[in-house]
Amino acid sequence: MITIQEKLPGDSSAPNPAVFRLRNVSCHFESIEAITGLNLEIGRGEKVALVGPSGAGKSTLIRLLNGSLAPTQGDVEVFGRSLARLSARQRRPIQRQIGTLYQQFHLVNNLAVIHNINAGRLGSWSLLKAMVSLIWPLETQIAAETLAQVGIPEKLYERTATLSGGQQQRVAIARVLVQNPDVILADEPIASIDPERSREMMNLLRDLSGKGKTLIVSLHAIEFAFSHFDRIIGLRAGRLLFDAVPREVTPAMIQALYRLT
Amino acid sequence: MRNATLSASRPPLRLRLPPRQLIWVGVAASVIWAAVQANLFSGALINPGGWALVVRLLDGLFHPNFSSAFLRLTLDSTLITLSYAVLGTFFSLVIGMVGGILSSEVWWQAHGFNQEAARPGSIALRFYRRSPWLAARTLLAVPRSLHEIVWGLIFVNIFGLVPLTAIFAIAVPFGAICAKVFSEILDEQPRQPFLAMLNAGAPPLQAFFYALFPSALPNLISYSFYRFECSIRSATILGIIGAGGLGYQILLSLQSLRYQEFLPMLIALLLLSGLTDVWSSQLRQALGGSTRIEIQTGVNHTAGIPSTGSTRSSAFLKGSMISILLLTGFALVYLKPDFSSILAPRTAQLLEGILRDSFPPQLPDGGLLYLLRLSGQTLAISILAMAAVGPLAMAAAFVSSGRLRNLGQITATRQPGLRPAAILAYLVRMFFLIARAVPTPIWVLMILFVVFPGILPGAVALALHNWGITGRLMVETVDNMDERPLVALQSLGASPGQTFMYGALPDVFPGFISYIFYRWENCIRETVVIGIVGAGGLGRLLSEQLSNFDYAAITSTLIALILLTILVDLLSSAVRRQYRS
Repeated sequence: MITIQEKLPGDSSAPNPAVFRLRNVSCHFESIEAITGLNLEIGRGEKVALVGPSGAGKSTLIRLLNGSLAPTQGDVEVFGRSLARLSARQRRPIQRQIGTLYQQFHLVNNLAVIHNINAGRLGSWSLLKAMVSLIWPLETQIAAETLAQVGIPEKLYERTATLSGGQQQRVAIARVLVQNPDVILADEPIASIDPERSREMMNLLRDLSGKGKTLIVSLHAIEFAFSHFDRIIGLRAGRLLFDAVPREVTPAMIQALYRLT
Repeated sequence: MRNATLSASRPPLRLRLPPRQLIWVGVAASVIWAAVQANLFSGALINPGGWALVVRLLDGLFHPNFSSAFLRLTLDSTLITLSYAVLGTFFSLVIGMVGGILSSEVWWQAHGFNQEAARPGSIALRFYRRSPWLAARTLLAVPRSLHEIVWGLIFVNIFGLVPLTAIFAIAVPFGAICAKVFSEILDEQPRQPFLAMLNAGAPPLQAFFYALFPSALPNLISYSFYRFECSIRSATILGIIGAGGLGYQILLSLQSLRYQEFLPMLIALLLLSGLTDVWSSQLRQALGGSTRIEIQTGVNHTAGIPSTGSTRSSAFLKGSMISILLLTGFALVYLKPDFSSILAPRTAQLLEGILRDSFPPQLPDGGLLYLLRLSGQTLAISILAMAAVGPLAMAAAFVSSGRLRNLGQITATRQPGLRPAAILAYLVRMFFLIARAVPTPIWVLMILFVVFPGILPGAVALALHNWGITGRLMVETVDNMDERPLVALQSLGASPGQTFMYGALPDVFPGFISYIFYRWENCIRETVVIGIVGAGGLGRLLSEQLSNFDYAAITSTLIALILLTILVDLLSSAVRRQYRS
């Protein structure tokens, strides 16, 4: 279906190269410390759940990983390159390999669904093609197939604002899928949906990210961390509390993660 | 805990006046100063010998020239004015779009600085980050602060009396205004989808057209149409520099005492202006939102694409867009502007010559003090005009507003029909239409029949024209008010007057004050126009210098004008900030 169009040079030389490497990363906003002294390495194809109470720094970590935030201290390497040291133009080809599913979706409400999906491909489209497509939609085949994959094929030409929250989330997923990134980041994808839909959404994310893609999801609901992921990272007050495979995560660890002080 | 109770029971001492009261002290002082400047308290103001001319004008109104030759001239002038307005708007939108993108914060945020840094930058670094944005804003402030007519007078010297002059005279200042407003609209759009696309590696321009532009579009269209209304008025005024069209013909008729030609021209002007206004407000309604007052004061840009089910609105939108394209084509054919003269070597030579003569600037004969005195006069004209417009417009709005007229009755018993109050309301609206459709310089010429030249006739003309614009806006606002609080007051036994005082006024007053100060910014620019036809201030000095081709002195006058405009803009935006919170 979709083939990976651009590969970053040199990223397949090592057998399992680290996609992300964080060295002693700290992040402050004014006087609030969102992340403190974080060391982390995430390899290709890993399925990682980020868990922890509200304010633990999960969203901040996601933003550090997709390059929308630069750390106050330390270094975030993505595919072996430090994003903060690159210009916007140099950052772009790396960012094309990272797709982010935002909690608030960040779709353009005034646009038809197809354009919101195609927005995922802007990184590889020329300006002319992008503008023509706004008037005369291009590559509708891929957009339609992807929308069918997330389960709402009939909504292709509807205005995004008229969709329900759940449908909008599926459009946001479709946008990430047509971007066809190596890494999918998802910030609290099931924070505001009911348990049955949550399971569906988690299955969808796991299946769509397939074997090759790295998947990193921040979660409130701890049970999905055990059922859908092969690595769980526990964050508390901006610090790493544990980083383990699900079967090694004990109830005591979870209790320590969420306990009230 | 203890501190909290302390501060709650005894508020901290304030040494300075609350800002709003301070504003009103300032307003009162400025109005008195302006009245003294205009000799309102001393000297003869009314010219008794002029009444004979007024009688002749009225006589001419009742014996209009409806001959077919003259009607053809009227139609031709109307189409010329319309075409100036259409093409002027078109180019101002092009300038506005490019300038608006370049002077928006979000655009520069996308370029290189979209990676938000958690480390606080030094002041120098923050300034550096904002520098391209600040540069673009500053660059656009100059064309904006000069009135269309000043640009017209400048372009006449380069292109001559051709359509291109009128088109550019509108396009340049309006382009800069559009750029400012467009950049604000763009900056107000939800930024997250745009940043999300950038963070997924999309190039800024592509992301712009997919994220920011679609959500801003309804507001951009809405504002563009408002600009078109303004362009019609400007295109009429541009007549007085000889560019042709309705303004020019009316001026000719008045100056050569052919008053019987006045009425057909006036009707054409009213139709042109009235129909544009109706079209524009219908379109805004189809876009679901902002009133004119909101559009201009930038309180909130609320337009949106009509939600599902309103196929009529979207058909109207499509029809309007097609009509605009057709009108643009028509205007190009009708005027046949010679765009090649922009690049002609002669244009460059003339421009170079003018620039060489303009620098270094030279003070006028009376020196700096004279320039300052005339600046004071200009300021006084605008203050007097606004001091009259504010209360008059508010009063008339409440008199003529249908909403307040009907407050006396329970909803079900309202009866349509021509009651005296309704007739009064229609008359007031008609008066507003005439007042704003007739350009200020034409008003000046008529007022000069009976008032001695000086500051006063200028202020009265400016007040009349702006009364028409402001009054109509306020009527619209009162008509669109939420009815429920008013009905609630009424049902507990409040009289209509009390309902107005407690229900209506508090709701709309801050918006009105804010709008009046915004209008003042326009007024200070317009003072030039009335100066050119003989009222006082910098405008008259400018027209004298222009007829002497004294470019070095013109430069200093223009600098004075720009500084004055910037001063008024700063004062006005400070006051408006107070009233927004």
